[in-house]
Amino acid sequence: MPGGGGGGGGPPLPSPSQAPTFISSLISRFTGGFVYDSRNNLQMRGLVVLLISKAAGPSTEELSFQHNMVSGIYSSQRSLAEITELIHTAFLVHRGIVNIGELKSCDGPLKDMQFGNKMAVLSGDFLLANACTSLAQLQNTKVVELISSAIGDLVQGIYYENSKSPEENCLTDDISISTWKEQVFLSHSALLAKSCQAAMELAKHNAEIQDMAFQYGKHMSMSHKLHSDLQPFVKESSSDTMAFSLNSAPAVLHQEFLGREAWIKQIREAQGRGNIMDYKKLQEAIKAGKGVTSAIDLCRCHGNSALAALESFPSSEARAALANIVYAVTRFP
Amino acid sequence: MVLSLNLSPPSSRATGKGKFAFNNIILLKNTLTRFQHTSTSHLCSCSKTVSNEKYQDPFQLGRKDLKNLYEDIKKELLVSTAELKEMCDYYFDGKGKAFRPMIVVLMARACNIHHNNSREVQASQRSVAIIAEMIHTASLVHDDVIDDANSRRGKMTVNQIWGERKAVLAGDFILSAASVALARIGNTTIISVLTQVIEDLVRGEFLQLGSKENENERFAHYLEKTFKKTASLIANSCKAVSILGCPDPKVHEIAYQYGRNVGIAFQLIDDVLDFTSCADRLGKPTAADLKLGLATGPVLFACRQFPEMNAMIMRRFSKPGDVERARKYVLQSDGVQQTTYLAQRYCHEATREISKLRPSPEREALIQLTEMVLLRDK
Repeated sequence: MPGGGGGGGGPPLPSPSQAPTFISSLISRFTGGFVYDSRNNLQMRGLVVLLISKAAGPSTEELSFQHNMVSGIYSSQRSLAEITELIHTAFLVHRGIVNIGELKSCDGPLKDMQFGNKMAVLSGDFLLANACTSLAQLQNTKVVELISSAIGDLVQGIYYENSKSPEENCLTDDISISTWKEQVFLSHSALLAKSCQAAMELAKHNAEIQDMAFQYGKHMSMSHKLHSDLQPFVKESSSDTMAFSLNSAPAVLHQEFLGREAWIKQIREAQGRGNIMDYKKLQEAIKAGKGVTSAIDLCRCHGNSALAALESFPSSEARAALANIVYAVTRFP
Repeated sequence: MVLSLNLSPPSSRATGKGKFAFNNIILLKNTLTRFQHTSTSHLCSCSKTVSNEKYQDPFQLGRKDLKNLYEDIKKELLVSTAELKEMCDYYFDGKGKAFRPMIVVLMARACNIHHNNSREVQASQRSVAIIAEMIHTASLVHDDVIDDANSRRGKMTVNQIWGERKAVLAGDFILSAASVALARIGNTTIISVLTQVIEDLVRGEFLQLGSKENENERFAHYLEKTFKKTASLIANSCKAVSILGCPDPKVHEIAYQYGRNVGIAFQLIDDVLDFTSCADRLGKPTAADLKLGLATGPVLFACRQFPEMNAMIMRRFSKPGDVERARKYVLQSDGVQQTTYLAQRYCHEATREISKLRPSPEREALIQLTEMVLLRDK
């Protein structure tokens, strides 16, 4: 069985020889202006790991193994970036699994759903197995522990996402914003934060640098989630109202300010007859309250924390690119 | 005509494929009794050379080390949500056979004794036993989702109770906890050895999806799948504890080969039991493999006598009545006997390997275990 992390299903990260030009082009793309594509997809986890590796540079400790660097990044760090993407993708796939018992006849033939489930489980497992194999090849037990614990975090975070069944009359859980933050950390931040930290460990940076990398990863991804949650509420002049999750940040904060009872009342009013949610009405209700501005503030707060963490790294193009990512996810019209 | 059963074991450093060159299956059948006799007498001579070591029940020997196994596993599953914790703990109720941890612990002691006469199991070796059981269970949880199974070990499956989405997450969580425990041993070689298992388990599952047209290829394919899905875990966890207990690479190889051979034998007997046992004893429904479209050992052997099974194999028993017809063919043929005989050969090989270690009660127990594999009825 051949080694190497790219067993299949991994993202198209370049081969070592291609790396220098690829990374330079990506950096210039970010210093030039950030192109923000999909709503919920932080597609650049791997890229962030590469950038932070480059921004941190070699540690003063191990001068001997710097010859392993290509374009300012160790091959182990590059491998870690791939691993991060593999894990993220594995869970995107596992999230797609359906509960057979909840299917209705309008969902299509049962056989097809079962087959789809089978493929989803296997593909996700394949990606995870590849990630584990690549992790083992890094020959660093601390990194294995860190990333394995990140997988555990991700599972718990997704578990919370799942727990809110859409069938329960679209009611939300009674969670506070601090609980929301804990859950979102697990589902959206832990993987990137710990990968950034692990990248520092691979270059043998000290505990302080490792922590700063962790903080950047954590706060930047929190900002990103908040930014994503806010989109339905900040987009101007959209004729079609985007559906939004009642457990998104603005809704949760709205409930905090308004109180649970009043919020439930608003939901019921928006449901009207036939239990079909009038998202436009609910959106108006939320916009009228303090939820949206509060969420924007929170987003910017995390953004500032991310930028503060970057201060510990020497000034460079890579660091500027990481800062630009923060600006992009804290920018509102 | 010489019976050319190529049993030369591939080294653990190689890919681990078990290739059997079946040049003449009929000759194999005729020499069935002869080999049975030989293997029994070999076992007898083995126990004669270790005259002072009395017969010990392997499960008794390992009991002390495994006493808190399931409690310790549950401690590794640190999860905040009550329901997820319940799901992860579900199979660690102490009712499973604990067959794998048993082998691991016995192998650990046998290797320690071989190296420096120490009968103690190191903490890291015990961790390997825990990790192996966790990896095994995680794969079971996922397999049940893949196979849409509704019962295992006499109770409902995780996916049946909590749904497929959560079941897959639970499996992922157990795997991640196993990974963390593995990292904490602090040995990069051990991490590599056991991570190989995770990869093999998935590849084994993929192998199971495919079918081979050619009969000879089918057998090799079946044995490779059996290695990856079942034997790899046992082989590599044996190897891992041997590395922790003894620096001699020859010992690591012995441990690996024992695990590999016992593992394959175990699965072969499992495949036999699917035809011969009744549902109550087994804890899961019978003819389960056929219903999943899988052609296991007994079926492959039966096909040589009843070529009409070929078509059924290729369409994975999907037509109505296929499963029942195939089952009848198997029971009419000598598929069960052939598969059992094959398992005996593997056990024989495992015994041969482990006998190279210094005598000890644990070594005898491991030999005893191969007999138990052959005689189990559930």
